[in-house]
Order: sequence, then structure tokens, then C-alpha cells
Amino acid sequence: MASLHDTIRQTLEPLAQAPIPDDPDASLFDLGVIDSFGLMDAIAQLEEALGVKVPDSDLNPRRFETLAKVERYFASRLASGG
Amino acid sequence: MTHLAGFGAALPGTVVANAALAEEFQVPEEWILSVTGIRERRRAAGQETPASLAEAAARIALDASGLLPTQLGAIVVGSGSSPRQFPGISAELQRRLAAPGIPAFDVPLASSGSLVALALAADLAPRYGPVLVAGAEVMSRILDRPPRSKETSILFGDGAGAVVVAPGPGPVELTDVRFACDGALGDDLSLEPGAPLVMNGRTVILQASRKLPAAVRDLLGRAGLLPADIDLFVFHQANLVLLRQVAKSLAVDESRLFVNVDRYGNTSAASLLVALSEAAGQGLLRPGKRVVLGAFGAGFSWGAALLTVRG
Repeated sequence: MASLHDTIRQTLEPLAQAPIPDDPDASLFDLGVIDSFGLMDAIAQLEEALGVKVPDSDLNPRRFETLAKVERYFASRLASGG
Repeated sequence: MTHLAGFGAALPGTVVANAALAEEFQVPEEWILSVTGIRERRRAAGQETPASLAEAAARIALDASGLLPTQLGAIVVGSGSSPRQFPGISAELQRRLAAPGIPAFDVPLASSGSLVALALAADLAPRYGPVLVAGAEVMSRILDRPPRSKETSILFGDGAGAVVVAPGPGPVELTDVRFACDGALGDDLSLEPGAPLVMNGRTVILQASRKLPAAVRDLLGRAGLLPADIDLFVFHQANLVLLRQVAKSLAVDESRLFVNVDRYGNTSAASLLVALSEAAGQGLLRPGKRVVLGAFGAGFSWGAALLTVRG
């Protein structure tokens, strides 16, 4: 079974507009990996892949700016039952 | 029940093409087009104000409705760029239209203001009589506040749109309208007096891409309809990429989107009524058609309306 880390990378890979960084704290926005419009698609794909729903109140780009933040966010959603 | 009795739009004559902004901000013209879908926008001349543009749009809408200003029951203006904190644009518009005594008030919501004004007009018209709804913006004077920002300067334009909401049945029935607000992220699109516009584009896009399609689905659900049942979507012309994202989320073909953001840019609260006026002028509100209006803007506030064009 793929780890959360691997699932996130595999889900983002087809949507990425630049190489996904190895540094988990690098900004996906500053590196051009995901633009403003791609972020919505990325969140939708992650919701589907991980079986969790991101509520509107959590739709804040700052939560999804780095791989570490994405992983932390979805780990917390999964821990709380999605 | 209410209907839309006449439409109008007024755009300043000065055109600002992407080339001028590309030179100012040292970016490729193609980049501006690719991230916004905008080719040019309009800029108000020195003597033009939101009220003067609103007056021009309102007179067209009133003529189309066969109404004199003094026959109005109320005037409601949506705008995020009022030059004064008070009185608002509506009072000056009422003065310009020489309609003293007619109730007039403002909805100071950038981008969603005219949709919210339309919702209020739907409730007011049966009680007060025909309501003039206008959306008017001179965004360029806000954008000129230093430091000028590339992200906002390439996006916004000036203009005004108007519609008369009349009581009773009519060819273009305002079947339903709903609006909502969530203030949790209000700071991400805001304007302090005298200060530059604050816009966190990522947050706006993320929230709009989710909330606008949901509002449309909720509205249609109340009528037992699906997005596929709608012939034309006239949305606030925020950004072409966002409009496409909304269409994708609703699973409707982009050909059902009315688009004029390429010619006028994002005219904030004016854009919905400018687009609706142009759609009507192009004969797109034909009998039997169902039309959905939608807007998302500062607050965040958003909403949607359903029009049914009767035979």
C-alpha cells in the first residue's frame, strides 16, 4: 500500500507544470509546479485519491503551498475520519 | 414574480490593450492573455465616474423598458469603487436621473454587487414598483494608487451595466435568485480607504471555483433542473480561465458561456450586467431559453440567478 507521501506525489505528478521538488518545504507556487487554477484540480484529485473531502473553510492556498503542508493537512483529515 | 424589462451598458471610449501593460510591467503580452483571457479593457476619462457611467447604462435600460426615471420604485447600485464612502453612487445616480424621492441605496460589494442588487430588487419590485439595478465601476482610479500591481492592473477595467427589474410576469422572467456570504477569508480581497487594492488571487480563484458551481447547482436544484438544462451561463467576467474552470466543474460545454472579458477585462460589479446587456443585444435571450447568472466577489459574497425566457 502506497504511503500518504507517495500518493500525494503520484497524484500531483500529472498536474505538475514543473518538476515536483524533493524539498518538502519548497513552495509549489513559487516553483511553478501548480498555478492558481491548477490548485483547484490538484485538491479535487487529492480528495478522490485519498477519499477525503476538503471543506470550503479549508480552501486556503497557504495550506497547500508545500508538499509538507499538503501531507500534514491530509494526514490530519484522514486521522479525523475525512 | 418579477421580470427583466430592459438592459443597458456603458463602456468608456479609451481602450487599454495588453501591449501598454506589457510594456509597463515588462511582461510578455501573451502572458497577460494566457493568465486572464483579456485582450483589452476600458479606462474612464477624467470626467467619467461610476455614477456617470451608471447613468448612461441606466438611460439605455430605461428606454428599453419604456419607463421614465420618475416611474421607478427604487434604484440599487452595486459597486466596489465608489469615489465617496457616503453618500453612495445610487444617490448621485438618482440626482442625475432627476428622480427625487425614489428610494436609492448601494450594495458595496466588488464583483458580486450587481447580483446581490438583483436579488434585492426581486423582493423590492412587487412592493415598490420597477427597480433600476446598476453595476458601475471605475477600477482604474483604484489601480492607479501606488504601488501599481501587475496582477490587478492587467485584470480590471471600467464600465457600467443596468437592468430594470419589473413586477409581474414578462418575457424574461427572473425565476429565482440566491446569494450568500462567507467572511472568513474577506481580507484576501479587500480595499481600505485610500489604500491599494488587496487581492490574493489564489484564494479568490480557489474559493470561486468551488463556491460558484455549488451556488449554481443549489439554485438549479430548487427548480428541479441540472446544469445540462441551461442554455446560457452569464457569469461575472472575472477571468476567462476561471470561467472555463466553472464550466468544467458544472460539466457544461464552454460554448454555453457568455464571454466578453476579452474585450472589457474584469469590470467587477459592472461585468454581470454589461454581459447580460450584450447577451440580450445579441438576441441570446430567445423564447424557451433558460439562462443562469452568477457572480463571486468581495466578502466573499456570491450568488446565482435563474432566468426563464417565455414565448
